[in-house]
This record gives sequence, C-alpha cells and structure tokens, in this order.
Amino acid sequence: MTLIAARPGTGVARPYRFPTVVRRDVAGGRVVAAHLPGQNLAVAVLLLDAGAGREPVGKEGLAGVLAKALEEGTAQRDATAFALAVEGLGTELVTGMDWDSFQVSVQVPVERLGAAVELLAEAVRTPRLEPEDVRRVRDDEANALRMDWANPGPRADAVLRADLFGHDNRWGRPMYGDPESVAALDVEDVTVFHSEWFIRPGTLVVAGDLDRLDLDALGAAAFAGTGGGPADRGGPIDVSPRPGRRIILVDRPGSVQSTLRLGHPSPHRAHPDHVPMTLAGTVLGGAFTSRLNHLIREVRGYTYGIRGDFASSRRFGRFAVASGVQTAVTAPALVEAVGEITRTQLTGVTEDELAVARSWRAGQLSVELQSPRAIASALTTLVVHDLPDDYHARLRESLLAADVAQVSAAAAAHLHPEALTLVVEGDAALIRDDLVATGLGEVTDHQV
Amino acid sequence: MPDSGYPWPIETTRLDNGLRVVVSEDRTAPAVAVNLWYDVGSRHEPAGQTGFAHLFEHLMFEGSLNVAKTEHMKLIQGAGGSLNATTNPDRTNYFETVPAEQLELALWLEADRMGGLVPALTQETLDNQRDVVKNERRQRYENVPYGDAWLRLLPLLYPPGHPYHHATIGSMADLNAADLATFQEFHARYYAPNNAVLTVVGDASAAEVFALAEKYFGAIPARADIPAAPDGRDVATTGRAAVETVTADVPAPRVYVAHRTHPFGTPGYDVTTVLAAVLGSGRGSRLYQRLADGERIAQPDTVGAYGVDLAHAPAPLIVTATARPGVTAERLAAGVAEVVDELATVPVTHAELDRAKALLSTAWWRQMSTVDGRADTLGRYATQFGDPAKAAERLPAWLTVTAEQIAETAAEVLGAADRVTLTYVPEEKPS
Repeated sequence: MTLIAARPGTGVARPYRFPTVVRRDVAGGRVVAAHLPGQNLAVAVLLLDAGAGREPVGKEGLAGVLAKALEEGTAQRDATAFALAVEGLGTELVTGMDWDSFQVSVQVPVERLGAAVELLAEAVRTPRLEPEDVRRVRDDEANALRMDWANPGPRADAVLRADLFGHDNRWGRPMYGDPESVAALDVEDVTVFHSEWFIRPGTLVVAGDLDRLDLDALGAAAFAGTGGGPADRGGPIDVSPRPGRRIILVDRPGSVQSTLRLGHPSPHRAHPDHVPMTLAGTVLGGAFTSRLNHLIREVRGYTYGIRGDFASSRRFGRFAVASGVQTAVTAPALVEAVGEITRTQLTGVTEDELAVARSWRAGQLSVELQSPRAIASALTTLVVHDLPDDYHARLRESLLAADVAQVSAAAAAHLHPEALTLVVEGDAALIRDDLVATGLGEVTDHQV
Repeated sequence: MPDSGYPWPIETTRLDNGLRVVVSEDRTAPAVAVNLWYDVGSRHEPAGQTGFAHLFEHLMFEGSLNVAKTEHMKLIQGAGGSLNATTNPDRTNYFETVPAEQLELALWLEADRMGGLVPALTQETLDNQRDVVKNERRQRYENVPYGDAWLRLLPLLYPPGHPYHHATIGSMADLNAADLATFQEFHARYYAPNNAVLTVVGDASAAEVFALAEKYFGAIPARADIPAAPDGRDVATTGRAAVETVTADVPAPRVYVAHRTHPFGTPGYDVTTVLAAVLGSGRGSRLYQRLADGERIAQPDTVGAYGVDLAHAPAPLIVTATARPGVTAERLAAGVAEVVDELATVPVTHAELDRAKALLSTAWWRQMSTVDGRADTLGRYATQFGDPAKAAERLPAWLTVTAEQIAETAAEVLGAADRVTLTYVPEEKPS
C-alpha cells in the first residue's frame, strides 16, 4: 500500500467576506442587518442595554427572572396562547444575557420572520407580569439555579469571581445570580427593572436574505411603543491584580474529580492589546493544541480537557483557566498549570505556536461564521462594542499580522502568575494536605 | 410543504477499494466540510471490550504513518479549521471544516489515519488516551447529578447480548483491560475504505474531490471480511415494565420514562419523531402544559422528550421531568406516565401537530444551515441507507405524519408493559 507521505501545500485562497452590513434608523430604534442571499433561515435578535451589569447589587438574577416572566402572557394573550403562537411559527423565544446586554431572539424560515418579530416585541414590550406569575417564575428560577449549582463548577466560578472583583460589587457576583439572590427577589424588582430597561428601543439585529425581508417593517414592529434614549454605559473599571497567590478550597465530599478555576483580572474589551492578548491566551489555553491541554491532557492524562482564555466585557475582563482533574492528581495538575502560565508570562510564545494560533483564529472567521445565528452573534458584537462594519475584515488582518514580539509582550504584561487565585472544588479531606504541600499559596477553606 | 429537505446538488462515486465519496458543492462561503463516517460503533463491541470503539476514536488523533503525534490537531487548527469526532452505538464520525484552500490537507490527514494508523500506535499513546477517556467518564457520567442515567437506561431497554445493551463510554474495568494488540486488530478490521463514507460539502467541485479522493485514498486496500455487528432488530420483550430507583446525591427527584420505538429511518420512527415534539418540545408541548404549567409538579426547564436517532434496532424514546420542591418521585412518575399514555387515547389536535412540524422544520434547516451540518447528514444517509440523496426525504416525511398515526404508534410502542421507568431520589443527608 502506498500512502502519500508528503503533506500537501495550501491551495489558492478565496478571500473571506463578511456579509454586507446594513444599518438603518427605524421608528426610534436602530436596525443592524446582514444580507445572506439564498439562506432559508433567518434570525432576529432584539438587543437591550439590560445585561447583568444593570442589576443592582443584591438583585443578581433579576434579568433572568424577567426573561422567563416575559413568556407568562402578554397584553394580548395568555401564556399558553403565546407559546402556541410562537412555536406554531417554528421558533421559541431564546433569551440570553451577559454583562453588557440582554438579548431576545427568534430563528425561523425567512418568510415567517415578520410574524416572529411581532410576537417577540409583544412579549418584551407588553408582558403581563402578574404578581402571582412573577413569584412562581422566580421560585422556578431559584430551583433551576439550585439544580445547576448541584453540578461541579458554579460554586467554584462564584468563589473565583468574588475573590477577583470583590463581593461588594455587582461584577464580583455571579452573572446569573445564585439560588439565594434569586429567591430573595420580589415582584416589584422585576416590574421596575422592566420599566427601566425594556421599554427603551434598543437595537434589532437581523441576519437573513434581505431580498425577502422588510427591515422597516421589522424595525417598526420591534420598536413600537418604545421610548427613552440610551443610558450612560459607564467607563472601564480599574481592577488591578492583587499580589500574593492563594488557594481557595471549596469542599465537595465524594467528588471523583477536582474542579479547577484559576484566574486574575485582565483588561476590558476595548483595550488596545485585545488582539495580541487573545493570541497569547490561545497559545496558552485557547485551543486543543495549546500548552495547557497538551501538557495536562495529552502528556499527563490528568484530565479530559483544560482551557484558559482572556475574556472581556465593556467594563472589565479576566484571565481564567478551567478544568476537571482526577482527584488523586489535583496537586500536580495545579502545579503544572501554574507552571505553564508562569513560563508563558516569562518567556512568551514561539513562532511555531503563534503560527497555529493566528491562522486558527483568522480561519475560524470564515469557518464558523456560516449560520444566520453565528452571523447575528457577530453583528451583536459590532453593536455592543461600537465596532465598524469592516471590523471582521480588519480583525482578520490584525490577527495575521501579530508577531512573536507583540504577543509575548502581551503575555508578559497581562499574565500575572504571582497574583492568581486558585480555586479548587473537590473532596477537601482527600486533597487539602497535598494542596498545602505544593507551596503555591496559602490554602483557605471557602466558608459556605 | 417543501418537496425536498436537501435543495443542493449531490454527486457520488465509489473508488475501486470501496470507499464511497459524496460531494455537495456550495460556493456561498470559502469553506469546506470534510466528514468521514466509519460504519463501526459500540454495537460492534463484544463483551469485555465495552468502550473500545470510542477509545479508538481518541487514538485516531495521536498520529499515523506520516503524521507525528499531536500533529493532526495542530495542522487543522493551524489551517484555520475546526475538527472533532464522535462515537455512538451505530458509528464513528470524524470531521473538520477548513478554509477551502486547505481541502487537500484535510484529505491527506484522513487518508493517512485510515491507511496508516497501526504503525504509529504505541503503548504510551494507548495508556495516555485510556487515562483521558477515564477522565471523560468521570467528568460526564460520574461527577454530575443524574450523569449516569443513560448508562442505566440502556441495559433496561435492551437485554444482555443486544448491541445497544451497553453504553458507548464503556466500563472502567474493560477500559483498564484494553491492550495494544486489540486496538491494532480493531483498526485493521473496521477502518477500511469499504467500511467508510467520505463526504465533502462546500467550496469544492465533485470532479476536484473525486480526483483528490483517488489520489489520497485510492491505494488503501479494501478489507474483504468486515464482521457485522450482532443483529438487534428484534428485541425480545419481557411483557413486564422495567423499574429502577436510584437513591443518589441529586438535588431533586427526577423521572426518566423510556420506550423502544422503531429504527431511525423507518416510517414508524418518523411518526415517533413528530410524537416526541408534540410530547416534549417547547412550552406548548403536552408535558410542559400538563406538568410544568397545569399541575405544576415539574420544574419548567426540565421537561422534555426526544428520540435517540439510532438505526440498527428499535430506537429509544426518552421522556424526562424533574420534580418541583415538595413533589414526590411517585407523583411525578405517575404524572409523566399519564401524559405518555394519553398519546394513544387523546387525539393530537391540528394546532399541536402544526406546532410540532414547524419546530421540526426549523430544526432541520438549522442543521442544513452549515456545510458541516450538511456533510454529516449526507454521510449518515450514505452509510445507513446506501444513498445520501435519501436525506432529502426526511423533512417531507415528518410533514406528512398524521394525528391518527401518532395515536397508532403510541398504542403500538408506548404501552405500559414495554415501559422503562428510571427514578432518581435524593439521598437523605445528615443535617
């Protein structure tokens, strides 16, 4: 048998083009759309400035409760009739949020998008919010969080966030809240949050075949009955890494794995180092071939996977590493992970690694931006971060142009191995002594 | 109603060594999806070797004759691509989506591991990936509440010796016993060109792909005697409901009701697919309306029903719900059973049927909205039904299902005597 030994070269590249972006002011709001000719499926996302960052401290989870309450009946129909109307079009209302925005979206065959956006607007602008329904939804959400928090991960995430950003700040608490914060919400919290943030027009993002869509009609439906202008979104928050590495142990008796969450604060989204920092994160932990996954999974066999990245919102950011490792190897896995972060900070990246990272990130723009959902999400990025229409084309160029010196400098400046918080959620009785013996930092037990 | 669920061109050929090649050209974006379906899954595993097909899938990323260990991932990601592989009871699939100019690289890598894996397979690699898979088992099945439900449902649904009796992840004991020779033999037996379908969708022409397939795969020899998996089409029923109750560290009681239905690809399974959407998809579904809304005994985000699309035996329908606080497992189980039973007795309305079909239509077009989604679909139909063009028939088949058929199928396969009920109950903790 003859297999061809020589690896083939690269063929002639056809340039990737992000779809044409259309921005239009309609009925007091803004429509931002991408043209996907021939695509049978279309997506619309109503983007509101009502993310977790808008929730008052102590009211974490408010936007999530409101999201669910939107579907408990509108001015025009009860919950069941609303569900049948939306699902009869072949879609569901998908709600999502992050620190910067709240999103409600529908995905339907293109000819049904108008009807779907009308229903979306009906739920967002005119929900009934009957007190009895809001209380029930709140209790359901608290339960759903209790279910989620029974899994490994959410507690460790919360402990890390509080240690990085301070429990007194909204951004030092879990984005979706916790079971207790949600259970403590009352009806008025929800109705006030709605009247404050859900009546402003916001932005309607549309991805689909614009030859078969009427953007003016979609905008008119989305913004009908709205009022109030944009609110001040606040500037970046200065969060400095805190010197002195530390280990926080979160007990999970009987756990067969230890959940690792390692991190420190990092720059906000608009920081000029965004691209080299992203690439440094990619080399260290952002891809299957990255340093962390190679060592901890492929060489040591300690885990099914380990990832690390820089993530950022408009006002703040964080570097974090996440993994689940077999209980018996918790301490060595932690030592080796910190070792790779330290090595990357001290000695930067190599051209071989960077070549993979930059062409992967650049190639992903053409490979991943295919579906209407993915394009809509890319448009959302443009809107939330005030980016220009040619952002994705420019991003591709700056990824491909980043060199070893720039990326190594970003690693040196923005990785802080000595300031890491190392959260370990696992069977404390089995791993505490080993963790102390690592000498990585003082070990404290998280008090429930 | 659309005439076709696949309005793109499909061209096929078969190399002399038996490799089937499927191409669907679409020049919309400069990306191309490469997908290989190997007709081997956990249903082929004999007793004592559970988990081997999946562990083998891991080994396929660890180097081959002309590709160094870990180079596969590095080359695809370095080319800007996305890649992965999955194993299920029926089959193993490998796939990457790359910028179109990297098509040849992807084909070279796939050919090298089809034809040249064994010389590169070492004990060290096996030991490392065995550890990785054991960690995968811990992470996905052992360390999460209800994580082992699937592992428990399968042996309740399918008797010992049936190809779907055991779960694809396998047992820790079998994984520990895996030796190198067995895996070398596994590759020689099943990873042959005449046991695979290569599908390419996107920015490439059929002529170009056929020529490249011949160039890279053409010299790999066919294997004459690929053993079939045990036949699982007829599942002996016990005539007795199977009931298992697990007391575990879970946050609330949860119920799974499961039935054997029809094999994926049959008219009976099309009815089951629509039935499952009526029963458990969305807020307008019967389960949501009755248990999450109506009686309010189930947590809203936890009710659901879905078929598991397996083609070589009657495929499972899984129905699940989790109790609201204060609701017992017994009450919840009775509520779920009642809603399932009513599928045979309370006719499905036009509105229910239209809603289910609309949701299924969107789900279908979502799968078709990416080149990788299309490639996997074509590979499935070529592998399991001998013709990728049959993919076009699925959506129209769903759309012709009637309320009467749903009632008939419910009466036929959802009877209480054929029911599997798995219940989780929280253990009492000392306070």
